[in-house]
Amino acid sequence: MIEARGITRTYQTHGAFTGARTVHALRGVDFTLPDGGAVSFIGESGCGKTTLGKILTGLETFDGGELVVDGVELSKLKPHQRAKYFRRIQMIHQDPYSALNPTRTIASILGDPLRMRAREKGGTGKEAGAWRERAAELLTLVGLEPEAVLPKYPHQLSGGQRQRVVIARALTVDPEVLIADEAVSMIDVSMRLGILALLRDLRARLGISLVFITHDVATARYVGDGGELHVIYRGEVIERGLTDEVILEPVHPYTQCLLSAVPIMRGLEEPGPDRTAPTMALDERAATPGCLFQPRCPFAQERCVEQHPVLVPFGADAGSDEVAGAGASCEHLHACFYPTARRVVGVEVGAASA
Amino acid sequence: MSEVQVRGLTVEYQTSAGWLPAVAEASLDLRAGEITGLVGESGSGKSTLALSLLNAVPAPGRIAGGTIDVAGVGDLTRLTGKQLRKARGGSIGYVFQASQNSLNPLKTIGKQLLDLGRSHEVADLRALIARALDLANRMGLDGQRVLDSYQHELSGGMRQRIGIVFALVLNAKVLILDEPTTALDMLSQASVLEIVRKVHDENQLSTLIITHDIGAISEIADRLAVMYGGRIVEDGPLLEVLRRPTHPYTKALIGATARITGDVEAARALPGRPPDLTTVARVGCVFRDRCPFAVAVCAEAEPPLAAWEGERRRACHVEPTTVLAGTPAAVGEPA
Repeated sequence: MIEARGITRTYQTHGAFTGARTVHALRGVDFTLPDGGAVSFIGESGCGKTTLGKILTGLETFDGGELVVDGVELSKLKPHQRAKYFRRIQMIHQDPYSALNPTRTIASILGDPLRMRAREKGGTGKEAGAWRERAAELLTLVGLEPEAVLPKYPHQLSGGQRQRVVIARALTVDPEVLIADEAVSMIDVSMRLGILALLRDLRARLGISLVFITHDVATARYVGDGGELHVIYRGEVIERGLTDEVILEPVHPYTQCLLSAVPIMRGLEEPGPDRTAPTMALDERAATPGCLFQPRCPFAQERCVEQHPVLVPFGADAGSDEVAGAGASCEHLHACFYPTARRVVGVEVGAASA
Repeated sequence: MSEVQVRGLTVEYQTSAGWLPAVAEASLDLRAGEITGLVGESGSGKSTLALSLLNAVPAPGRIAGGTIDVAGVGDLTRLTGKQLRKARGGSIGYVFQASQNSLNPLKTIGKQLLDLGRSHEVADLRALIARALDLANRMGLDGQRVLDSYQHELSGGMRQRIGIVFALVLNAKVLILDEPTTALDMLSQASVLEIVRKVHDENQLSTLIITHDIGAISEIADRLAVMYGGRIVEDGPLLEVLRRPTHPYTKALIGATARITGDVEAARALPGRPPDLTTVARVGCVFRDRCPFAVAVCAEAEPPLAAWEGERRRACHVEPTTVLAGTPAAVGEPA
């Protein structure tokens, strides 16, 4: 079980002409990932999703808050003590074309971590030699033919097959959590569902929990039951709840803009009646003492300029001091002073119009 | 009226196994005032087809047969040298795949625009700049600021729009966009698609959009052409094709798209993998290995792209009614 408590990450930039500037990549992100559970993060480019993924895998540090794995606070540990926790959290990278070393065969890509893992487990030499069987087992698990794939180089495989190899490689060290950062965005649309089904299958069969980071809301629906969806904007979670609940009944204007941007399959779907869009492009330099989304929000009012809303359940006032982050984890929360349900998602043609 | 008529176009690449066709006998019309979407998986030959519309297939490829008639230019496959250079950009505007990475990082956008003008021997460069500013402003960019910027100062969506400005600034009437939304997030994708539709309508263009994402294209296209293994396997008015796909591949492709509505369980990934140049079937239907409807004749003869129901065309031996009636469960492996 992983618990993040108010994770923040701030970068200092030193522009040659523009002067130093502080970039808030993450402004206090809370979430809980139960064993075998799934948490999805959606947001546009530059909202801090990838930074979060890197922090969870130990590739990036955080400067505030706490990351707790199985009750152990990681920031109190020394780096070598931390390593064994991060071994259990593995990343599936975005681009399967650059995530695999082009000069090594699949056998050697999978072999090294498998031998390392066998030594770490303190097995005998015999176990280390069994890596080929284990590699074949993993490739079968991810839906590839071991005999055909093992001797090949990455360029001999298609994008979907490469992504499966990347997933198999992540599984070599027996992880408990997989972080999928835009794991399907570089893959042909026709192959995406296969990869998503594989991730869902790994959850069901191996009990691996999943952190799914994406800009494509539709794919977040396919990672399995009980998934929680966090909508992240400029490093802050502004709406969260069960995936289907947030998609079907979004109340934050930013979530509604994101969902409105999902293309409609004309002929099969009709656009939602309340489709909306941000009033302008993101300008990170603009000062936003109030709501971060206020300059772009089509529904912003005076209060949004002055006061910063916090996550609260529907019906409560987002200006209250009570921090709702500690509430029940699956509750539908939002950070907006004027939450309004709007029907922005496309409707299937022929489905009841309600 | 068709702005571009492609007839029997065959493009081959030289490989160790000889010359192999990446595009085989493709016929396609780009009509004035219509957006045509060309959809297919990687390796289906869609980018090769688009590049051949500029007669710019890179070596070791060559146009082996067929004609490309562009209104006001003639058969593009016969043009060479200066005439060809004039036609590229002058008559046909092309927005390249990853166009956000195709800008020169060392020059401001404005200087690159002047380069474009000089290479096409534009007499009045001031007018060219004015036209670029006008185009940029209509696409929601701050024209003055953008022309004075370097490419790293612009976001992905802005660079994509600059690509469209460059493609249209010489008054091209045909616009080709190769994967215009692939590297963009949802919000930028929606705004780029909206802008393409707006620019298309305002300038009365003939637009071809190449993509692997049938969902993105369905929002703005008027016609849809589906490509597989170098062949166009189905085309027609977009709404009709989406509502009633009569080629098993089109049907599977629509079913394999992650959608925000509908039953999660009903969506299915396509089985198998798309063919490439060396593995594509030489005899018979190119899709038969992955086709749930395949019958004996599919292995023997290649189905011709034949007219069906008004403006539609399909290349399949199986009766359209059989494909239409096939339950989704019959298509693809369980997701």
